[in-house]
Amino acid sequence: MKKSKKYMVISIISMICFLVLWELATDVFHVFPEYSMPSPIKTLQAFVMKLTNTTPDGSILLVHVVASLKVALAGYLLGALAGIPLGILMAWYKPVDLFIKPIFDLIRPIPPIGWVPIMILLFGIDLKSKAMVIFVSAVIPCIINAYTGIKQTSEVHINVGKTFGLTKFQILGKIAIPTALPMIFTGLRVSLGVAWMTLVAAELVAATKGLGYMLQIARTIGRPDIIVMGMLVIAGVGAILTGTLEFLEKKFVRR
Amino acid sequence: MKIKQKGLAFGVGALAIFSVFAIWFYAATYTKVSLFFPTPQKVFSRFIETLTVPIGKYTLQVHVLYSLKRVFVGFGLSSITGIILGVAMGYSKTINAIVRPIFNIIRPIPGLAWIPLAILWFGIGETTKYFIIFMGGFANIVLNSYDGTNKVDQTLVGAAELLGANKFQIFVNIILPSATPYIFAGLQVSLSTSWMAVLAAEMISSYEGAGWIINMGMNVGDTVLILVGMISIAIIGFALANIMRVLERRLCSWTERGK
Amino acid sequence: MDGKREVTVRCKNLCKTFYAKNRKQDEENEVIRNLNLEVRENEFLVLFGPGQCGKTTILNILAGLEKASSGELEVNGKQVDGPSSDRGMVYQKTALFPWMNVIKNVSFGPRMQGVKKEEWQKWAQHYIDLVGLTGFESSYPVKLSGGMQQRVGIARAYCNNPDVIFMDEPFGHLDAQTRYLMEEEVERICSAEKRTVVFVTNNVEEAIYLADRIVVLNDMPTSVKKEYIIDLPRPRDYTSADFLALREEITRCVEVNEEG
Repeated sequence: MKKSKKYMVISIISMICFLVLWELATDVFHVFPEYSMPSPIKTLQAFVMKLTNTTPDGSILLVHVVASLKVALAGYLLGALAGIPLGILMAWYKPVDLFIKPIFDLIRPIPPIGWVPIMILLFGIDLKSKAMVIFVSAVIPCIINAYTGIKQTSEVHINVGKTFGLTKFQILGKIAIPTALPMIFTGLRVSLGVAWMTLVAAELVAATKGLGYMLQIARTIGRPDIIVMGMLVIAGVGAILTGTLEFLEKKFVRR
Repeated sequence: MKIKQKGLAFGVGALAIFSVFAIWFYAATYTKVSLFFPTPQKVFSRFIETLTVPIGKYTLQVHVLYSLKRVFVGFGLSSITGIILGVAMGYSKTINAIVRPIFNIIRPIPGLAWIPLAILWFGIGETTKYFIIFMGGFANIVLNSYDGTNKVDQTLVGAAELLGANKFQIFVNIILPSATPYIFAGLQVSLSTSWMAVLAAEMISSYEGAGWIINMGMNVGDTVLILVGMISIAIIGFALANIMRVLERRLCSWTERGK
Repeated sequence: MDGKREVTVRCKNLCKTFYAKNRKQDEENEVIRNLNLEVRENEFLVLFGPGQCGKTTILNILAGLEKASSGELEVNGKQVDGPSSDRGMVYQKTALFPWMNVIKNVSFGPRMQGVKKEEWQKWAQHYIDLVGLTGFESSYPVKLSGGMQQRVGIARAYCNNPDVIFMDEPFGHLDAQTRYLMEEEVERICSAEKRTVVFVTNNVEEAIYLADRIVVLNDMPTSVKKEYIIDLPRPRDYTSADFLALREEITRCVEVNEEG
């Protein structure tokens, strides 16, 4: 108990040192040029400013966050809704596995960001194209984890189900899916992270709204304070999303 | 029995791939899809063509080599620093307490979100790309190395102490090897995010590379070129993942999985 | 036994209490109370006690892996303050280094002490042969059966040439058949190369089969309840009348223990 307190103090001191050094290196001694590195205070000011001000990118911060979230969640939910059942079916029914796996293996090695150009050409630069990219990014971890989770069902448990006269479908619902639940949640968590990251990248490449777009505009006009602030907001939103999911996981999965 | 099953798997797999291409071919030839989507033959002949006829400055394989070089530099750097930092954090609680809060701020920032700042810092040269790839893989390697080092079986440490090993010997002979599978898991994930990071970096600021190809295709509205780029990206992505898997099997042959 | 033999391990009034901090209150868990024990050179001492009676904790303290709350502990006249290579341990769950093959595991101690390669190879080979694993030198632990893994563990402890070897229910995880076989093996190995051994078990037959002396322990908090000197001729016969009588007696001693 005493020890953990000691480490906590070290952590707090280290954090304060980090902020002070950052401030000294920027505002006070100008170690980094002003056009490339904002001070912590300027970053905070940028945050307050963007809460109400629409310059330089045409919207206030909240609008960007909502725009990004809307796209990310739309694509993510589609990916989860399609990926989890598909992964389960592949793991449970051999013919589905044999048929889908090769197609899946063709698509899997392409990083989600690689889908941006084709999706934009096919669906235009609006919400739909980006949601499709997010869909691709989210669906893959969902499939993989649901698949692995179902495959982990122990032979003994399946046999117990059989001796009690359950049908194959009942065994899937009562035994295999509960076994796979922790893995399915892992998949949901991984794909949420990937989806959020992909979205920001997609907005950097092509967008008219959203956090990635805000960063891109800030870069072209040389506003590092907005960039750093935006990065921290992206990190914060990402952390809140994962935190929510972890909370849900704890509620639903008994370990 | 086994051979028969393998044959069946191969047959169904081939049928699946064939039907994908058949549908693609049909849709891109006889339906409205043909208005905006090319046929497979067109894509493949363009793929072969770009091996000798340059796209922009270079041929396809040179573009791919550029991307690969960037991945290896960036990934190499993030592996080395990430493993050192993660292992140090796992080994010493004090180092962990010092680094952890700063790391926890940086960790949730997606690697690709560093692109604008990196461009401000380093311009649009190679350094920017290395930095983005570095940030893409770094956090994951640190976390996994930390976990591996932290989760070392204390019984094994005790056993080594009883056999007369000193602290350094325990670190080299017990802690590092037992962390290796975790570190490898981190490296595997990081290599694939590095491959993604290089594409994003090239799409945003570059004059060559696989990411540049698909971005170019998007800007000039050349769907065939995009698909050619995606095929080469898939091939490399597949190769990278498998190289890591083979390496892991070699280095971690002693684990249950290695069997 | 003959009092002339030197005492290797001596512990006096050894106590151990664990403190666990709960959300509501501090919990105290007294595991060992005033344990007095002497182990003589080349003696095979068995600590025998019911299920969860802190036997592993005793061995960990004797080995120096855990600290006693109070009391004195000497090995070969030296105060124990931390693990050292004078004491060897054979674990219940083997604790082999999974990334090292058999010969690397067995030679670990000498290698860490900077012994030359020709030397440690010779020693390790000797003990691998002694435990009957010739031919498995370059196998990895995952590929070995439970009994074979335990042989490696014994060879590893022997190869480091400690003053005393502690064995913590080494056969607890093995099936009955393998267990009998391993008991015979330990008997053979220990008569081939005499060592001071402190062996922990909760199996009466194993205790009688192997021991020069059995120390029966009380349940928590653990202390010495009774001692039996076993002087049946070796190798012992599980079905001899003397063996069965002893088994009866020791079992009863423990049962009384559990009721009281």
